[in-house]
Amino acid sequence: MTPPRLPLSRQPLRLIHDRIATGLITAGGIGVLLAILAIGVFLVWETLPLLAFGDALSLNTLSPLAWGTLKAALAAMLFATPIALGAAMYSALFMSPRLRSRVKPILELMEAIPGVVVGFIAGLLLAPWVERHLASTLLVIVWLPLSAALAGSLWYLASARLRQCLPLSWAGIWLMPWLAMMATLALWLAPLMEQAWFGGDLRRMLDQQYGLDYATRNALIVGIAMGFAVIPSIYSLAEDALADVPANLMEGAQALGASRWQALWKVALPTAGPGVFSAVMIGAGRAVGETMIVLMASGNTALFSASPFEGLRSLSASIAIELPEASPGGITYHLLIFAALALFIFTFLVNTLAEVVRQRLRQRYQRLGGNR
Amino acid sequence: MKGKGLKGSRLQHYCSRVSRQSRLWVATGLMFFCAFAWGQPNSVVSGTLGAVGSDTMAGLMLRWGEALNHRYPNITLQFQAGGSASAPTALIAGTTRFGPMSRPITESERQQFIDRYGYPPHELSVARDALLLVVHRHNPLASLSRQQADAIFSTSLYCGDSEPLRRWEELLPEQQWPYGKIALHGRNLASGTHGLFQERALCNGQFRRDISEHPGSSAVIAAVGESPNAMGYAGYNHLNPMVRALPLINAEGTAIIPSVATIQDNTYPLSRDLYLYVNLPPGEALPLAEQAFIELIFSDEGQRIVQAAGFVPLPQAQRTPPLLDD
Repeated sequence: MTPPRLPLSRQPLRLIHDRIATGLITAGGIGVLLAILAIGVFLVWETLPLLAFGDALSLNTLSPLAWGTLKAALAAMLFATPIALGAAMYSALFMSPRLRSRVKPILELMEAIPGVVVGFIAGLLLAPWVERHLASTLLVIVWLPLSAALAGSLWYLASARLRQCLPLSWAGIWLMPWLAMMATLALWLAPLMEQAWFGGDLRRMLDQQYGLDYATRNALIVGIAMGFAVIPSIYSLAEDALADVPANLMEGAQALGASRWQALWKVALPTAGPGVFSAVMIGAGRAVGETMIVLMASGNTALFSASPFEGLRSLSASIAIELPEASPGGITYHLLIFAALALFIFTFLVNTLAEVVRQRLRQRYQRLGGNR
Repeated sequence: MKGKGLKGSRLQHYCSRVSRQSRLWVATGLMFFCAFAWGQPNSVVSGTLGAVGSDTMAGLMLRWGEALNHRYPNITLQFQAGGSASAPTALIAGTTRFGPMSRPITESERQQFIDRYGYPPHELSVARDALLLVVHRHNPLASLSRQQADAIFSTSLYCGDSEPLRRWEELLPEQQWPYGKIALHGRNLASGTHGLFQERALCNGQFRRDISEHPGSSAVIAAVGESPNAMGYAGYNHLNPMVRALPLINAEGTAIIPSVATIQDNTYPLSRDLYLYVNLPPGEALPLAEQAFIELIFSDEGQRIVQAAGFVPLPQAQRTPPLLDD
């Protein structure tokens, strides 16, 4: 029941405070909405003069850039999603709480590394190194997940005493030396394998047999660097969602005889599904909009190629490079504004899609008792 | 006696403190006076000069500004680097009198200026620069003809070659190394360097699509320096030992090494002037501060600064400062 309304002068101070605060918050919300709308209107308005030059020009110029944006985001997501979600599942459900309370903040701290720094390292250190050691890099990328799986099956076969020494909830620690060992092994083996199977030089073979070109800065580098930057945001949100799965659901499933895998796959993931999904989509949104990493690690070649070894050029990087030197009112300027509009629509669509699917999934899984 | 002594010493102490303070004041005052007196002959020219323009020339403008400030402590130069394209805009808008540009002003920009003011801007060549074709420092390629350069970088082949050159094997048939596609590096679309290379090296043709575009000449050099099968173009002032500048073969068939001498006398085919555009109505004299700046640019000191900034100084014959009344 609402209390009867008093005249303004006789209302308690608390109520007036409340109303002022509500008013300010509403005004702020409307202000933000108006600002977004104004940005959209400005971009559309500034793109209009392009109509005079014909659609063909803007399509020809922008379609490789749109493709580059998608390619970079896809590469980053391919690299980041498995790692981030795997880490989230493990740390939310299986990791020992003591370890988790230390690991999670550290992983989230990764998000604080500026994109410029990541891009700088990727473009100036990682890219030349990978170019010189292509075979080793590819081998490490394939071999590390496999060796982790190998560690899992070895652990399963190991004696009970060894399992006591290496508990599953501390796997995050004792897997590290194992993975480091496996990476060293791969790095040591790669030149030998290259010698035996690829005629001593993988790049030359790719070039001569398959006509595959290798650019120093390419989609692979962008994928690794931007994936690295996107991992913390996906991990953090997905981990929160999974940690919020009611413990009694997991315990109940395991009490009824489900294995850890089954409990994870059939109970935890569906329950936390909406949260996990929106985590991935937010990661994708960041990957689409990210500028500095793509700018510094991609070579900025406006190509239409699906090859992971060729460069790309994204909308955001184009805007960052060209806009300072484009004279206002010129055709380059309007094209860049159009690129900005395309980028705006891209991220808007990704976020809207994320929200819509999240609402749907949330409704569907509500009956499972999930609250996310 | 004891008390008096104490009092006296206290008084003395106080006195000495006062005198120390006042001495300090006097000294400061003297210093100011000296500075004023010393600055007196120069204080006729004073003010703040504004300039808007080329990124390429940013370092140069900064050093000139420092030297000017050293000569005339009352003059400061404020420079905004916004790219060559920002210079005509600022000149036309009247926000600045000086517009440094790394390329000549285009016909439409000049026309806009004339429409606004009724007279063209003054064009001063203030330094020389060149575009270099660079390869990795260990690359065995000896020299390159201009047709080859066009065939490597363009799709249009306006300079006369019939086939595009894409691979090191075609360029260096007898060498085992480097091999594979030539990895191309260059500047971004809106830069003056990109435009100039397009005009002079590609005969106004179209660039290939797979050229990596970098936001600065030093980024191009760094990228070429780290991969042996790369080739790129960059401004002369960014050259470093990571890369080697290729001699270009001119129309007579001699390979011209880019050097101070060949760039100065224009024999190197891709040399260019760096410009300073000045908004000056005909029949009017420049204000003294602006005159001082121009005098500095064309003086030996100004041209030494050009060399220190990595560009090539003007030949001795072109060092007479224009636009001065004396």
